[in-house]
Amino acid sequence: MKKYATIYRAVLMETLQYAANVLMGFISFFIIIFVFICLWNYMYDEPASLIAGYTKEQMIWYVIITETLWFGARPAVMARQAASDIRSGNIAYQVNKPYYYPLYILSRFTGEWSIQLPMYAAFAALAGGILVGSLPGFHPVTFLAALPCVVLGITINGVFKLNISLISFWIEDSTPFQWLYDKLILVVGTLFPIEIFPKALQPFFKLTPIYTVCYGPAKLLVDFSTEKCLEILLAQLVYLAAGCALMAFVYGKGVRKLHVNGG
Amino acid sequence: MLTAVKNQIRVCLLSVKYNIMREMLNKVTFLTNIGFMMLNNAAFIIQWIILLHIRKEVGGYAMRDVMLLWGLAASCFGLSHIFFARAFSLPELIINGKLDSWLVQPKNVLFSVITSSTDTSAIGDFLYGILLICIFCFSFGRLLLFLFFTVTGAMILTAYAILLGSLSFWFVRADIFGNNMVNSMISFATYPDGIFKGTARLLLYYVIPVGIEIYLPVQIMRSFDVIGLLFVTGYAVLLFAAATAFFYRGLKRYTSSNLMAARM
Repeated sequence: MKKYATIYRAVLMETLQYAANVLMGFISFFIIIFVFICLWNYMYDEPASLIAGYTKEQMIWYVIITETLWFGARPAVMARQAASDIRSGNIAYQVNKPYYYPLYILSRFTGEWSIQLPMYAAFAALAGGILVGSLPGFHPVTFLAALPCVVLGITINGVFKLNISLISFWIEDSTPFQWLYDKLILVVGTLFPIEIFPKALQPFFKLTPIYTVCYGPAKLLVDFSTEKCLEILLAQLVYLAAGCALMAFVYGKGVRKLHVNGG
Repeated sequence: MLTAVKNQIRVCLLSVKYNIMREMLNKVTFLTNIGFMMLNNAAFIIQWIILLHIRKEVGGYAMRDVMLLWGLAASCFGLSHIFFARAFSLPELIINGKLDSWLVQPKNVLFSVITSSTDTSAIGDFLYGILLICIFCFSFGRLLLFLFFTVTGAMILTAYAILLGSLSFWFVRADIFGNNMVNSMISFATYPDGIFKGTARLLLYYVIPVGIEIYLPVQIMRSFDVIGLLFVTGYAVLLFAAATAFFYRGLKRYTSSNLMAARM
């Protein structure tokens, strides 16, 4: 594990050097948050009314939190790198290094989001505080209790995105599959809490990555309960184990297909 | 003059044709990119079914109008990325000094640059827009207007990308700013203007030209207005002319990086 910690530290330092670039990314992030604030302000007829059991403030904060996780972690960059390594053949130089390639990519990913996410979270808290007001019932202890779920959610998302990138061993371009996965998470997971869907569909969504990646961490921050926290943590551990097993299987199969043609 | 314009258009069309032929070398990837992009866009229908289930209309738009809005936004994005995809990566070419190979060509530099690449998935966006209007609000007249506004919208989006991309001639890191602003235009384009109030609404018409690219054409398609049509057309032509002039002004400051590269 020591070598992965070294990779993590190296990427952490590298990301710190480009902190100004992260700040420029706040423009897009702010605009997205602003659009959703306008949308939900319009959707709530009466400020005190409830939609799917959420007050207006809770709903807007839910979207702000999921968007922060989406923008702050950006597994798309990591997934693109893995897919590009496989497509370009660059992976041939990586597989013979003294590390396990998927863990190397995940260490890099963790190093990147460790800097970006806190910056996005601080900006989101500031923007949300000014435009929406404080989150009712939020306590700093809630944040600490939900933190493991946030970290696990981001890691699960990274593992699944990497699994999709590994499809590039068989087909040239895995990007279209990334789009579909992203849209599942974005449209169903980040824009709406699961409770907004028909009751018959809710158990189905609990089985998808949406529950562990977006809904779980955001729900705990917006409306914390110990039972919910334990339920989400358990689901995340199961998901992470399944995702890692799949990753090992797909990578093992894919790397055996690799042909080095020289050059 | 007319012959020169005709020749330039011919060169641009040939360039796009060869871009697409190059992308079609791998037919499975080509078709997967198009098909999955259409599916990717269709995912947002779920979002609008849910929102319109909560309220009968959002910002004055019912389902039919939202689909018209989405269709136009997708088609404009698609058309501009089929013909002028390189306009969206202009800052990278300027910052890294990669414009040299186009400067020595005996044709218009800007048009040669921006037509030198095609985004395959944009074909999916363009077709998705046409499909939406055919399914949700088809009439022959509306389809003609839709195709016309797709062209003006693509011109506005491309011109905006050229304007912001050309800032890289003057400023470092203008690329990140430009990309953010172009992305913001795309974000706003898929939500009804009725949800935005006050200053935000003004910004959408006067700073980020999404109001004239998408909202005004949608209003004209809902209730025809010839003055609006002329205004959108004039705006698109003027913005494109301004963007072209701005690019050439910036080009005078361009310095090569003596990069040795082969364009295949």
